[in-house]
Amino acid sequence: MFQIWRFNAMDDDNSNPFRRMSSRTRKVAPRMAAALASSDNRTHAALARLEALENDNAGIEQIEINEDSDASLDDDDQGYMQKRQSKGTKRKTRQAKALENARKAPRTFLELLNEASLESLPPHVPSYLKAAVGPPSSTSRRHFCTVCGYAASYTCVKCGMRFCSGRCQNIHNDTRCLKFVA
Amino acid sequence: MSSSFPYPDFSNVVVLDNGGGLIKAGLGGERNPSTVLPNCLLRPISSKKWITPPPATTTPNSDPLDLTSAAVRRPLDRGYLINPDLQRDIWAHLFTTLLRVTPSHSSLLLTEPLFTLPSIQRATDEIVFEDFNFKSLYVADSPSLAHLYEASRSGPTGRLVSKAQCSLVVDCGFSFTHAAPVFQNFTLNYAVKRIDLGGKALTNYLKELVSYRSVNVMDETFLIDDVKENLCFVSLDVPRDLHIARKTGRDNLYRCTYVLPDGVTHTKGFVKDPEQAKRYLSVTHGDTPSQLEANKKEMDQIEVTERSENRKREVDFSKNEFDLTNERFLVPEMLFRPADLGMNQAGLAECIVRAVNACHPHLHPVLYESIILTGGCTLFPRFAERLERELRPLVADDYQVNITTQEDPILGVWRGGSLLASSPDFEAMCVTKAEYEELGSARCRRRFFH
Ligand SMILES: [Zn+2]
Ligand SMILES: [Zn+2]
Repeated sequence: MFQIWRFNAMDDDNSNPFRRMSSRTRKVAPRMAAALASSDNRTHAALARLEALENDNAGIEQIEINEDSDASLDDDDQGYMQKRQSKGTKRKTRQAKALENARKAPRTFLELLNEASLESLPPHVPSYLKAAVGPPSSTSRRHFCTVCGYAASYTCVKCGMRFCSGRCQNIHNDTRCLKFVA
Repeated sequence: MSSSFPYPDFSNVVVLDNGGGLIKAGLGGERNPSTVLPNCLLRPISSKKWITPPPATTTPNSDPLDLTSAAVRRPLDRGYLINPDLQRDIWAHLFTTLLRVTPSHSSLLLTEPLFTLPSIQRATDEIVFEDFNFKSLYVADSPSLAHLYEASRSGPTGRLVSKAQCSLVVDCGFSFTHAAPVFQNFTLNYAVKRIDLGGKALTNYLKELVSYRSVNVMDETFLIDDVKENLCFVSLDVPRDLHIARKTGRDNLYRCTYVLPDGVTHTKGFVKDPEQAKRYLSVTHGDTPSQLEANKKEMDQIEVTERSENRKREVDFSKNEFDLTNERFLVPEMLFRPADLGMNQAGLAECIVRAVNACHPHLHPVLYESIILTGGCTLFPRFAERLERELRPLVADDYQVNITTQEDPILGVWRGGSLLASSPDFEAMCVTKAEYEELGSARCRRRFFH
C-alpha cells in the first residue's frame, strides 16, 4: 500500500498513469463547477464552505492506491475474504491491480445520487430529493461575525462573509477572505 | 432497568446499527450492543498502515492509541455507503475479532438510512450474502427501531408512544437529521423531512472556529469531537448568551479552557477545570422579550467598548491550551438555524412541522404528543428544552407538545433492533440467502417496504 500526498486538490498531475481524482477533488468538483459557472464569488464561497463541513481530512488531500486492499487487517480477519480472493484469477500483477482499483474507486454520494436520476421518478414516490426539508419560511437571518462570533453588522463586499468591527475585518482580510475559493 | 424485556436466552441474530460515525453491534436479545466502534479506518501519524479503530469501550489498562492528527477514511458519505470495500474490511474485523460470530450460521439485522439508493442497496446485499454468507437479512430504518423500543417500554411519566401507536422520531445523528413520523412500527417515508446537518458538520464547524480563533486543529477530528461532546450546549436565548460570553473574569460563565495533548504525559486532550466548564448551568432562563431587547441594546454598546476583549482570547501556545466561550453554543445553534450559517435549509422545529403536516390531519395531535429524540446530537445539554421553545409557538394551541430524549440516544436504535431480532416472527420477515440468489437484490428489497 502506498500513498501519494498532495496539498492542492485542483493541482492534478497528468503524468501519473494511475492518476485519478482524489476523493476530495471528486467531492468538490460538481459544486465547484456550478459555482465557477455562476462566476459569482459569493455563491462560490458559500458552496465551497458547505463542502468543507462534510470533509474528513481537512488539511491534506490524498490519493491512495491499495496494493493489497486488506493490508490493514489482522490475519484473523482474512477468513471470510479467502473465498473472494480465490474467485478471481491468480494473484494479479501490481499494475493490473492498481488499474482495477482505480476503476472501482469509491465515488462520492453526490455522484451516486446523480446516477440514480431520481428526478425521473413519478411525483408520488418518496425519494432522497423529496425528503429535503427545503428553505426556511422566514427570510430573516441573524448575522454572526465569522471571526469572533458576536453580532455582525458588516458584510465583506468580496466574499459575503460577516464581520463586526475593523479589527475583525482585518483578520478576515488576512486569513479568511475567499479562503474557500482559492 | 427494564428487566421485563422478552429476550430469549439464545440468539443467533447479529444486530448491526451501521452509523456513519459509530457502528453499534451485538447479538439480538441483549440489552446493549457488545461493541461500539467508529465506522472508519484510521492512520495515526506514527503509522503507515490504516488500522481499525479500537472499540469505544476499551479496557482502562490498554495503551490508548494516539489519535493526534490521525487521517480518517469512512465508508459512508453523507450517511450513505459509498465505499463497499472499506465497509467490508471493517465488518470483517467486527465479525471475526470483536463479535466472534459465524455469519453463515447467523441472520443479520442491519440498519440502513431512509431513501438509500438502489445501487447502494445492491452493494450492501452483495457484501452481506456474497462476501459474508449470512443466512438471512432484515433491513430496518432507524426511526422505526427507535419507535419500537419506546413503544415496548413505559417511562416514569407513563407511555411515551401515544395510544395511537404513533410517534415522531427526530434522529439527529452523525451525517444528517431526520424528522420521521412512525405509525404502527412503520416509518411513513412520504412524510420524512431531512436537514443535511449532523454531528460531523458540527465538529467540522467547531474545528474552523477554534482554528481561526486560537490554534490550528483542522486535522484533529477526534480531539474536536471530544471538545464538542464535553463542552458544547444548546442556548435557550442566543442574544443573552452572547452577552454573557463576552464578559470578563468570573462574570463570564461560559469561558472554559481545554488542554491539548502534549504527546508525552497525555495523548488525549481534556477539559482543564470541569467545575468551570459547568458554570453555564447556573444561568437561569427567565428572560422576557423586553429583557431580550434590553440585552440586545446593551450588547450593541458593548460592541464598541469591549472590542479590546478580543485580544485576550489569543491562545498561549506555551501552555498548549485554548479557551472557548461563544463557540460552546454557536456550534449546536446550527441545527436550529442553519440559515444563519449560510445553509438554505429550515431549522429543526420547522423541519418537524413540515414532517407532521405531510401526514393525515388525524395524526397531527398524536405525533406532537410523542416526539422522540434519538442520535448523538440530541445529547447536547438543553437540546430538548430549546426544541420545545421553538416548536410550541408553531403548533396549534390545543395540541400537546411532548418531547422526550431517549434514555441513551446513541444506543436506542440498536436496542430497538435487538428487540425486533428476538421477536418470534423475526425470521419470517427476513430475506434468506436462497431467496436472494433466486430473486436478486431489487425484488428481495421489496419485502422491507410497506
Ligand atoms: Zn468580530
Ligand atoms: Zn471577504
